[in-house]
Amino acid sequence: MTDLPIAAAEEAVAATATHGNRRTAPFIPLPLTAARATTLAGAVITIASTFMSWTYTTDFPGDLTVSGYPGGLQIMTLIGAILTGVVALGTFGLTGLRWLTPSRTNNGVLLLALATLGTTWYTVIDIAAKLGGLANLDPGGFVAFIGALVLFAGALALPLDRHPEEPADAEYYELGRAEGISAVVRGYAWLREARLHHSELRVPDARKLNRWLQRLVIVVVYALGLKILTFGLATDYSDIFIGYLIVLAVGVWGLSAGGLLKQFQQLTQHNKKFSSTVGVLTAIAYPFAQNNELWANLGASVLIVGTVALGLNIVVGLTGLLDLGYVAFLGVGAYTAALVSGSPFSIWSGTQFPFWAAALAGMGAACVFGVLIGAPTLRLRGDYLAIVTLGFGEIFRIIVRNLDGVSGPKVTNGPNGIAQIPDLSIFGYNLGDTHSVGSFTLGRFANYYLLMLVITIIVVLVFTRAADSRIGRSWIAIREDETAATAMGINGFRVKLVAFALGASLAGLAGTVFAHVTNSVVPDPYVFSGSVPPNSAFLLAAVVLGGMGTVSGPILGAALLYVIPQKLSFLSQYELFAFGIALILIMRFRPEGIIPNRRRQLEFHEDETPAPGNRPMGDDTVPATTAGA
Amino acid sequence: MTALLEVEDLRVAYGKIEAVKGISFSVEAGQVVTLIGTNGAGKTTTLRTLSGLLKPIGGRVRFDGKVLTRVPAHKIVALGLAHSPEGRHIFPRLTIEENLKLGAYLRKDTTGITKDINRAYDLFPILGERRKQAAGTLSGGEQQMLAMGRALMSQPKLLMLDEPSMGLSPIMMQKIMATIVELKAQGTTILLVEQNAQAALSLADQAHVMEIGTIKLSGTGQDLLHDEGVRKTYLGED
Amino acid sequence: MHTLPQQLANGLFLGSMYGLIAIGYTMVYGIVQLINFAHGEIFMTGAFGALAVYTNLPSSMSIWAALPLMLVGGAIVSVLIAVGAERFAYRPLRNAPRLAPLITAIGLSLALQQAVFNWYPHATAGKHFPQLPGGPFHIGSVDVQSGDLFLLGAAIVCMIALGVFVRSSRTGRAMQATAQDPDTAKLMGVDTNRIIIIAFAIGGLFAAVAGVAYGLKYGQVKYDIGFQAGLKAFTAAVLGGIGNIYGAMLGGLVLGIAEACATAYIANVPGMEQFGGGAWAQVWAFVLLIVVLLVRPQGLLGERVADRA
Ligand SMILES: Nc1ncnc2c1ncn2[C@@H]1O[C@H](COP(=O)(O)OP(=O)(O)O)[C@@H](O)[C@H]1O
Ligand SMILES: [Mg+2]
Repeated sequence: MTDLPIAAAEEAVAATATHGNRRTAPFIPLPLTAARATTLAGAVITIASTFMSWTYTTDFPGDLTVSGYPGGLQIMTLIGAILTGVVALGTFGLTGLRWLTPSRTNNGVLLLALATLGTTWYTVIDIAAKLGGLANLDPGGFVAFIGALVLFAGALALPLDRHPEEPADAEYYELGRAEGISAVVRGYAWLREARLHHSELRVPDARKLNRWLQRLVIVVVYALGLKILTFGLATDYSDIFIGYLIVLAVGVWGLSAGGLLKQFQQLTQHNKKFSSTVGVLTAIAYPFAQNNELWANLGASVLIVGTVALGLNIVVGLTGLLDLGYVAFLGVGAYTAALVSGSPFSIWSGTQFPFWAAALAGMGAACVFGVLIGAPTLRLRGDYLAIVTLGFGEIFRIIVRNLDGVSGPKVTNGPNGIAQIPDLSIFGYNLGDTHSVGSFTLGRFANYYLLMLVITIIVVLVFTRAADSRIGRSWIAIREDETAATAMGINGFRVKLVAFALGASLAGLAGTVFAHVTNSVVPDPYVFSGSVPPNSAFLLAAVVLGGMGTVSGPILGAALLYVIPQKLSFLSQYELFAFGIALILIMRFRPEGIIPNRRRQLEFHEDETPAPGNRPMGDDTVPATTAGA
Repeated sequence: MTALLEVEDLRVAYGKIEAVKGISFSVEAGQVVTLIGTNGAGKTTTLRTLSGLLKPIGGRVRFDGKVLTRVPAHKIVALGLAHSPEGRHIFPRLTIEENLKLGAYLRKDTTGITKDINRAYDLFPILGERRKQAAGTLSGGEQQMLAMGRALMSQPKLLMLDEPSMGLSPIMMQKIMATIVELKAQGTTILLVEQNAQAALSLADQAHVMEIGTIKLSGTGQDLLHDEGVRKTYLGED
Repeated sequence: MHTLPQQLANGLFLGSMYGLIAIGYTMVYGIVQLINFAHGEIFMTGAFGALAVYTNLPSSMSIWAALPLMLVGGAIVSVLIAVGAERFAYRPLRNAPRLAPLITAIGLSLALQQAVFNWYPHATAGKHFPQLPGGPFHIGSVDVQSGDLFLLGAAIVCMIALGVFVRSSRTGRAMQATAQDPDTAKLMGVDTNRIIIIAFAIGGLFAAVAGVAYGLKYGQVKYDIGFQAGLKAFTAAVLGGIGNIYGAMLGGLVLGIAEACATAYIANVPGMEQFGGGAWAQVWAFVLLIVVLLVRPQGLLGERVADRA
C-alpha cells in the first residue's frame, strides 16, 4: 500500500483540541517534538537492548544470555519495538510509512508502545521472579526495562484522541454511596476522561487502490497471518507464548486503532470471493506448512470445535436462543456415526455406512432430537429453552451411560463407550493412512483436518446463506424484538424451531467426524462444563468471546479458547474459572465480542448513544427506549 | 412568587426519536393545570419524565424549589409529587387496601395512614366495600378510583393524573370528573392530562395544547374552551 | 425399604430441599425475570461456608452448638455472593438484551464452582460434612434420619416465615408490587433496586439453609453439587409456576416425590423393567419437566406465562 490521499492532519502543537465527542490531548505535557523524539529514542533503546544479554544463566526459557543476537522473549520485544517505531514514524508523517496509520491518530502508537512495554516488563519481571531476584539480570535487561518505559512515556506525551472532559457539575449516580466522597468522584471522572476514543476516526477508502494491489495485499496479509499463527504454535515455552500473546493482542489493537484493520475489512468486503478463496487456500496450506501430526491434530480439533461453535451461533447469535446443551447434539451425531461405523463394539457391528450416509444419519438423528426438545419449549419464553437444553445436555450423558445392558437396554456400552471405530475411507482414500502429495506427506490427522475443513466450509456456507435469506432475516427480527416480529407476520415458533433444528443438525454433522477422529465415543465429554473441550460451556464461551452472529467470531473464539490452554498448560486447572470470569467480563464490557456484528453492536450499546454529550446513565435511570409499555 | 412546578425547555427522547421537543410550563400551588392533545403528542412522556421514570435529554424541572432532573423516581414521590399513571396500573394481585397502603409506602405515621385510607373510602365508597378484594377484579372505573386514591395516599403537593377517564363509560367518566372537581375544591394542586378536552378545559385554571412534542397553545381553561382552533380539533366541532 | 410410605417420605425430604432452593429462583425471576443460573452454586457455597465454620470450631464443641453457627456462616457466604452478583454482575445489564444476563449467570456459575474447586482446601473430592446424632427413627413403617428431620423442619420454618414476611410486612408488600409492576412501584416510592437486593438475599439465605441440610443429609459436600441441585430446583420452580413462592415449594415436593416413586416403581411397569432405579431418576425428572411444559406451561400455581421475547 502506498500513501493514500489524506486530508492533511493538523499537527501544530500538542495542545488540547475538542471536536464533537472527543478531544485530542497528551497525558504528559511535553512539546510535540520532544514527545516524538522521546518515543523514537525509546524504540531505538529497546531495539538495541534485544541485542544484549538479559540474564547470566540459561535457566530461563529461550536462552537470553547471548549478546549480539536476540532470542526467545527478546524477539517479542524486538518485534514490538520495531513495529512501534515504524508506525510512529509513519504517524509523524514520514513519507512511505504513513499508510501504517491511515487515521492519523497517535493512539495506535500508544497501544503498540504498551504492547512493547507489556512484553518487555513481563520478561524482565519473569526473569527476576523465576531465578530469584534482580541480581539475575544483566545490564541488557535493565536497558530493555528502561527503553520500553521511555518508549511508553514518549507515546503518552503525544497528542492522543480521548473522551471529552467531564462537565464540572457532573453527577455520578452509578457510584451509589461513594458519590459523597469527593476523591472517589474525582478519580472516577479522571478515569472517564482518560479513556481513549478513536472509533469515530475516519480512514481513507482502501477500495480506491488498484484492484491487483488490493488482491496482493489480501494474499500478503493472509500469508502473514498463517506465519504468525505457526510462529505462535511453535513457541516451546509458556513464558514465550505469553509474551507472544501480549504483543499479538495489544499490537493488533494498536494497528486497528490506527485504522489498518478497518481498511483491510474494506478490502475483503470489496473482494469477497477472492478473499474467501485465499482464506480457504491458506487453511488448506496449514497442514502443508509444517509436517507435524501434533499440529494437524490441533488444527483438526480447532476446526471441530469451531464448526460446532458456528452451528451454535445460528441458535444463539442469529436467533437469540440460549442453548446450553448444544454439545449433546454433537454427541447424538457422534454416537449415531459410531453405531453405523462397523465398530465391533457397536450393536450393529455388521453395518458399515459409507461416510455420506453416516453423516446424513448423524445429522438426521440430531435434528430429530432438536425438534423433540425444541417443540415443547420454543413456544414459551426464551429462558425456558435455556434450562430445558441444560437438562437435555445432562440427561443425554446419563442415558448413554445407562444404556449398557445393566442399568438399561444395551445400546451404547455405557461408560466404556464404542471403541475401535474404523478410520473413514472416502472414494478409496483411507484417512487413517499416511499419503504423499508431491514432496509433502499427509498423516492421519492432516487427512482429518482437510475433511473437517470441507465440513467447516459447508457450515460456513449454510450459515451465511441462511443469514442472508428470508429465514435469516426472520431470525434476526425475532432476536431483536419478538413481539414486533410476530406482529409483522413472522411465525415465531416455526422460525425458531427451524433455527434450533438446523443448529442441532450441524452439530450432528460435526459429531460424525468427531467420532472417527477420536476412534471412540464415550459419554463423559458430553457435559455442560468440563476440563476438555468441546463442552457446552466451552462452545458458548467461544461464541460469546468471538462475537455473536458473525461467521469468523466463533471460529476465532474456539481457536483461542482451545489453543491458549494447550500452550499455557499451567493454566489448565484454572481454565474453567477463567471461562466463567471471561463470560462475565465480556458481557459487561464488550458484549459484542472480539469481532463485532455491526447490527448487534448497535443493539448492545443503544443506551449509550442517545443524546449528544450524554454519557451512559446511572442505575436508576432507565433509558427511555426500554422503559416504555 | 415562584410556581410549585416549573418545566423549562424539557426534551425527552426514545432512542433517537424525540417525543418531547422542548416544552415549558408551570403549575402554581392550588391550581388545576391541564395538558390536552391528540394521541402521541407526548403528554404521557412528559408526566413520566416529571416523575422520574424517564430521563430527559435536556431542559430543567424544578419542583418545590428543587431540581428534579437527575433524582431517581422513587425519591421524587417523597418530595410531594404523585403520579397516577395512564392505564391505571393498579397492582392486580394485591387487595384494594394493600394498594392504598402502597400509596403511603413512604409514610411512617400509622394512624395518619389509617385515617387517609378511610378518607379514600369516603371519597370512593365502593373501594371501602371491597377492601379485601384483589384489585384486578375491579371494573375499569373502580380501578381508576383506586389509582387516584392510591396517588392521594402520599399526601402529595402536586397530583398528576394521566387520562383518568380513558376507556370509561360516560357515567363513570362523570363520576371521575366530579371527583377531580371535589379535589380541586379541597385545594389539591393537579396536573391533569386528558383526552376529554371539554371536561378538562372547563375545570382547568391553566391549559396547554400539545402537538407532536411541543406546546402549541396556552391559556386559561376558559380561553381555550372558546378558542376556534381548539374547538375544531379537540372538541369535535366544525 | 420399598414401601410406599417410605418412598413418599423420601420424596418429601428430597422435595423440601428442592423447594428451598427453588424459592431463590422463583423470587428473583418474579421480580427481574432473570433465571439466576448461578443459584445452584450459591447453594453449594452456602454448604461450604457452613463447613468452613465447622472446621474452625473447637472439636470438643457439640454439633448442636455448632449448627447455629454453621447456619450463620453459610448464610453470610451465600447472601454475600448472591447480593454481590446482583450488584456487580446483573444490575449493570438490566437494560441489555435478554441474553446478556443469562450468559453472565452461566459465567458466574462456572466461576463459583471452579473457585471452590481450586481454592477451598482439598475440595476436589467430596468433603466430609458433620452428621446429626440420633436416628434413624422408626415412625410406623418409615425410617427417618435426623438430617431429614432437620431438613423438613427448616423447610417448614422458612416457608412460614417467608409467607408472613411477604404478606404482612411493608417490604413484603413492596416486593409484591415490584414483581407485578416495577415502574408503578417506583411511583409509590419503592426503591426497586433495594427490593431486588432483598429478593437475592432471601434466595441466598434459603439456599444456604438448603446447603447445610444437604450436608447433614448426605454426609458430604462436593464442589459440583450445585449443578444438579440447581437444575432440579429450577425444574421445581417451573413445575410450581415460576414467580410463585408457594408454587416453588409445591413444585419441589411434587418433583421429589415423583423422583422417589419413579426410582422405586417404574421398573414394575410392564415394558419398563430396565428403566428403574436411581440411574434413571434424572431422566424421569426431565421427562416430567417436558410434560409439564407441554400441558401446563404456567406451572401448577402459576398464572399464564406470556410468550415474551
Ligand atoms: N416506549 C416507547 N418507545 C418508543 N416510542 C414511544 C414510547 N412511548 C411513546 N412513544 C412515542 O412517543 C410519542 C409520544 O407518546 P406519548 O407520550 O405516549 O403521547 P400521549 O400520551 O400524548 O398520547 C409517540 O409518538 C409515541 O409513539
Ligand atoms: Mg398518553
